[in-house]
Amino acid sequence: MGLAPKPDFRGRKEGGAFLAARRRRFRCSWTRVEASVGLAVGGRGAMFCEKAIELIRELHRAPDGQLPAFNDDGIRQVLEEMKALYEQNQSDVNETKSDGRSDLIPTIKFRHSSLLRNRRCIVAYLYDRLLRIRALRWEYGSVIPNALRFHMSAEEVEWFNHYKKSLATYMRCLGGDEGLDITQDMKPPKSLYIEVRCLKDYGEFEVDDGTSVLLKKNSQHFLPRWKCEQLIRQGVLEHVLS
Amino acid sequence: MFVTDFRRDFYDVIQTERVLLFVASDVDALCACKILQALFQCDHVQYTLVPVPGWQELETSFLEHKDQFHYFILINCGANVDLLDILQPEEDRIFFICDTHRPVNVVNVYNDTQIKLLIKQDDDLEVPAYDDIFRDDEEEDEEDEEQSGSESEGSEPSGKRTRREEDVIERTLKRRQRREWEARRKEILFDYEQYEYHGTSSAMVMFDLAWVMSKDLNDMLWWAIVGLTDQWIQDKITQMKYVTDIGILQRHVSRHNHRNEDEENSLSIDCTRIAFEYDLRLALYQHWSLYDSLCNTCYTASRLRLWSVQGQKRLQEFLADMGLPLKQVKQKFQAMDVSLKENLREILEESANKFGMKDMRVQTFSIHFGFKNKFLASDVVFATTSLLENIEKDASGTDNFIRALDSLSRSNLEQLYQGLELAKKQLRAIHQTVASCICTNLVISQGPFLYCYLMEVPGPPSSLGQDTLAPPHGRDVLTPPQGWDTLASSRGQEALLAPTPASSLLRARQTSSCSPSRPPWACSASTCCSPLFVRPRTSAVSCCP
Repeated sequence: MGLAPKPDFRGRKEGGAFLAARRRRFRCSWTRVEASVGLAVGGRGAMFCEKAIELIRELHRAPDGQLPAFNDDGIRQVLEEMKALYEQNQSDVNETKSDGRSDLIPTIKFRHSSLLRNRRCIVAYLYDRLLRIRALRWEYGSVIPNALRFHMSAEEVEWFNHYKKSLATYMRCLGGDEGLDITQDMKPPKSLYIEVRCLKDYGEFEVDDGTSVLLKKNSQHFLPRWKCEQLIRQGVLEHVLS
Repeated sequence: MFVTDFRRDFYDVIQTERVLLFVASDVDALCACKILQALFQCDHVQYTLVPVPGWQELETSFLEHKDQFHYFILINCGANVDLLDILQPEEDRIFFICDTHRPVNVVNVYNDTQIKLLIKQDDDLEVPAYDDIFRDDEEEDEEDEEQSGSESEGSEPSGKRTRREEDVIERTLKRRQRREWEARRKEILFDYEQYEYHGTSSAMVMFDLAWVMSKDLNDMLWWAIVGLTDQWIQDKITQMKYVTDIGILQRHVSRHNHRNEDEENSLSIDCTRIAFEYDLRLALYQHWSLYDSLCNTCYTASRLRLWSVQGQKRLQEFLADMGLPLKQVKQKFQAMDVSLKENLREILEESANKFGMKDMRVQTFSIHFGFKNKFLASDVVFATTSLLENIEKDASGTDNFIRALDSLSRSNLEQLYQGLELAKKQLRAIHQTVASCICTNLVISQGPFLYCYLMEVPGPPSSLGQDTLAPPHGRDVLTPPQGWDTLASSRGQEALLAPTPASSLLRARQTSSCSPSRPPWACSASTCCSPLFVRPRTSAVSCCP
């Protein structure tokens, strides 16, 4: 099965149609299929892959760019379900081989497609999270706020560090000796300097040539854009559009 | 020293440096600041803008920022005091002062290294000559005196007596000369510094700089116009100077706005257009009703004596003479009948002449952008002044400064409209206060002075007056400087004939004054009441700020 960057949740309908089709075709062994389905899931009306879809839905609910906490629990449950399905399949395959029973084959096929479905969902979940973490580097810089760090699993943190390193190596090899910081100025800036107004007392702020500027409430300054961006994000300065 | 070539000695010097701008709290300074900001943004000059409403703030801000900058620009503050003495800067700091306060302090004029004055020298400055005030040979005199002292102490042989006598005669002659010179110096300085007045608007000076560099725009021209109009409205310059400066600006206006006359090539309606107007002197009349404007403009209110019952009758006669029905006059100006508005200016001028108001029309400019937005220069001045002097509960001086500065941009029209509403409130409050003062005989005459005390809770029982003027909990009382024709005309003195004096209420606090100029010499700022000084004016003279 191919991997898509955005998970689709047509899986539920697909599962239902698939099951109905299977039901229609193998009506004679319906009771056995039903029984095995019921046994595997362990509840009336519950279906396979629901937990996996839950994970996808959770990501879909979070607005673009936000990273919700890593759902360790959910992944574990899905993996357990996959293990259970796999074991059942194993035993059924052995039975089919040894006894020559062909009526178990649809069940085996059904469980197999559930397994594939689960795998697809989990991979989509992890991949989407990685894309969001990558976007964090471009937005926040190399240091992520602590709140977001807790939302990442240990492996994700490791991946993030590797990514940071690659990006830094790449940036260093551009632009001559000093390297070029390509994470600044995602859109071409209209001007090099911007007019900012101080909203609260901040204190001294260092400018490029070593000297400092005193940021006091209601003073206006005309400073280079890249210096002010951090403070604008923090809310200390306000960009004045005249 | 005076800067002769603004571009070379001022702008080119600071173009590659970071500068600190100290701006005073008046509309002229705000306009000059906006023009300078526009130039700096064009050339990427890094600057920091600090508002300074008074001397105290200037000193504090200077102390905070003095290590970070080498170049300081002061707008409408600092020319009339010995700046180096007050601020005590280091040797390599340079100050550029663009100030309208006159007379310029002689130390500032003759300092060659640190103080550069951005003042046009064709203003009537009359600075005394260097030799009349400063004397280089003072040290020699002191040495002579010491020597003579030491000599006379020791015992002397009689052979040197005659030589000593000659020495003594020489020294006494020198001392007498010195005393004469000092007496003359005192007289010269007294004559030079006895009256305070104002020179060319700083906004116009900055616009001139922009024009010399060919970076002037219509927007900057409008700010220069507002700066000049502010000076005239606050009675800081004479009518003659105002008319001359209007002539200068008129040339710039026609240079920038000639495309509007051509029907085929005219600009879109959203572009800024500035037009010359010979319009009425009524405050905010296009944004108010004509009746309200007549009642609350100083000029008409005083000439018609609207605080008395007879005055109200005269107003009715005046309106009847013009043929304007009361109902029309009392509704919003924009809603008035078009047929009445057509020749309003001429009709008003004719009738006004009959009622003793000869200068009903004045030369001014108006700005026009979009379909709805048309403002006269005086409208913008009133709006911005009211925003600057707004005494809301949580607004501090610098908040008001920022709001007023914003209102001058074309994109912040809501601020401007807010300012207009505030200005209407203020004008009404002022006239009610004045009317009550006159009616309750609070105006006391003392020789050539007329004054009246306004207690913490002023007279008028209406809520308008109390909100805008009264300082509950000991807050500041501020009103814009207004022509007190009312007081003059009520006393029936010769002051009636002279142009009106300007005055303003001082803050109730003892430490600061309204505008950064010399500390008031005759007003005592007590904490419980604020005295209001008025004096008959002779020529280009205004009383203390």
